[in-house]
Amino acid sequence: MVLGLTLGLAACAPEVVRRPEALAPMTGSPGSSIEILKEAKVEVGPGYRRTIWEGSVWTRVGRVSQGEVYRPVTHVFTVEGAHVHEAYLVLDGDRVVGFYLPVERAFSPAPDGPSTKLSIRRREP
Amino acid sequence: MTLRRALVASLLLALLLPACASGPKYSSLVATQPGVAPGQGRIYFYRPSALGTAVQPDINLNGQKVGTAKPHGVYFVDRAPGDCVVTAATETEKKLTFTLEPGQTRYVRLKMQLGVLVGRVVPELVDRNEAEEEMRDLSFIADPLK
Repeated sequence: MVLGLTLGLAACAPEVVRRPEALAPMTGSPGSSIEILKEAKVEVGPGYRRTIWEGSVWTRVGRVSQGEVYRPVTHVFTVEGAHVHEAYLVLDGDRVVGFYLPVERAFSPAPDGPSTKLSIRRREP
Repeated sequence: MTLRRALVASLLLALLLPACASGPKYSSLVATQPGVAPGQGRIYFYRPSALGTAVQPDINLNGQKVGTAKPHGVYFVDRAPGDCVVTAATETEKKLTFTLEPGQTRYVRLKMQLGVLVGRVVPELVDRNEAEEEMRDLSFIADPLK
């Protein structure tokens, strides 16, 4: 019964919360990048977590109203709910405030709030 | 009893084997794969597990069938850059969205997941290194629409 309930809940995983958001892209020279100095785990959807790996590099591709948008360079990153979506990090300083979904052109707020603080090294282009 | 078990095992094996992809291994063909045409991108689809072998839904890319979720199989398609939506439907439909750039290669793992009545196929975007490792011993499907 517990297994059935678990599977039933999995079947009904809600959509990733998101709202339309325009990305103001970087113009001119390539954007700066950041390197993650310490692994961090973030909640990305209902019951789903992802690891932001130590040593991973993310390049700034633009800005949304919630913060700066960083696209992964060395790997792929996704958020998940009912479906799986490629995603970029949205940072306010060094805090993860949410994710930008490039296909949906939408912002998805971090489900656990802006509580995840990243240890990063900034690299200028 | 032992004979009965052997017969059951043989029957199960006979049922499973034809359902899995067969053919040359990806690792033996990777060096001979044609390059991506200028202005196009490439998307690999692969299913590393034989779990739920009977469940082989169609794999659709932007609403167009590109193949099926064949266990132990791998294939690729070349497409114009842009937004990509991959779907695989069994008792529920699971969708993956990602972007494709010119000259870029993307890797989509078709992961089996337990369902309520039948298994589900979840398309996942995977890093190149992880995908290349997992695809090494899979069978290359030259014509995934056959």
